[in-house]
Amino acid sequence: MQRRDFLQAFGSAAALAPLVVAGLLSPTRALAVSFNRAAFEARTAADALRLIGAAGAETSRDIQLKAPEVAENGAAVPIEVASSIPGTTRLSILIDRNPLPLALQFNFAAEATARFQAKLRMAESSRLRVVATAGGKHYTVFREVKVTVGGCGD
Amino acid sequence: MSEPIKIRATVKGTEGEVRVLMPHPMESGQRRDPAGQALPAHFITSITLSLNGRPVIEGALGTAVSTNPLFAFQLQGIKAGDKVSIAWLDNKGQKGNAEAAFAAG
Repeated sequence: MQRRDFLQAFGSAAALAPLVVAGLLSPTRALAVSFNRAAFEARTAADALRLIGAAGAETSRDIQLKAPEVAENGAAVPIEVASSIPGTTRLSILIDRNPLPLALQFNFAAEATARFQAKLRMAESSRLRVVATAGGKHYTVFREVKVTVGGCGD
Repeated sequence: MSEPIKIRATVKGTEGEVRVLMPHPMESGQRRDPAGQALPAHFITSITLSLNGRPVIEGALGTAVSTNPLFAFQLQGIKAGDKVSIAWLDNKGQKGNAEAAFAAG
């Protein structure tokens, strides 16, 4: 691998490293790890995953994602997400085929259960992904959701 | 935002559940008005849920969150009377917040 390729491949991880270190050095401030807003501007799920540092997330059965198989109204698709991976500090949701795939991210302190319910917009039928972050590692689960009427355009 | 945030906090045993509804257009920036002009994005970018004044959940939101965002969260080690508050900030710098006390559910 040439040096330039290496830098391109790992540039984003390097940029995030100081934040990760800051988080590890101050465990009492579990919420100190800030969000990378640029990931919310990413136009593909692959780019968004790379920008949140989760490109290599491994599939886990310890993340629960409840979502309808068929959503009649893409403007408000109810989801419920929970991670039983010990030490989960962040949950991120991506909708692959939305114009901007990264939908939201939550950081959880020790007093909070790594679980939430939300309503999201889906432009069209798409893969819905959850990424759970625990101990600096990333885990993922996904599910396909069919959308009858898209919820992003008019 | 003129409409107030709705926040409901209930506790069973030591487990607390918080439901929040934040009235907000959450305009995605993908829509056009009848004249074909793009409607500029106007959406909540961050929320903070605090327990007795200390942040316990922080969220970063994108434009895929539905109009009038509705979330449910769970907190542990809760007793009736504990205070929970929610604060949001949008991409235009507007803010909102609300507070409630946990009540036996």
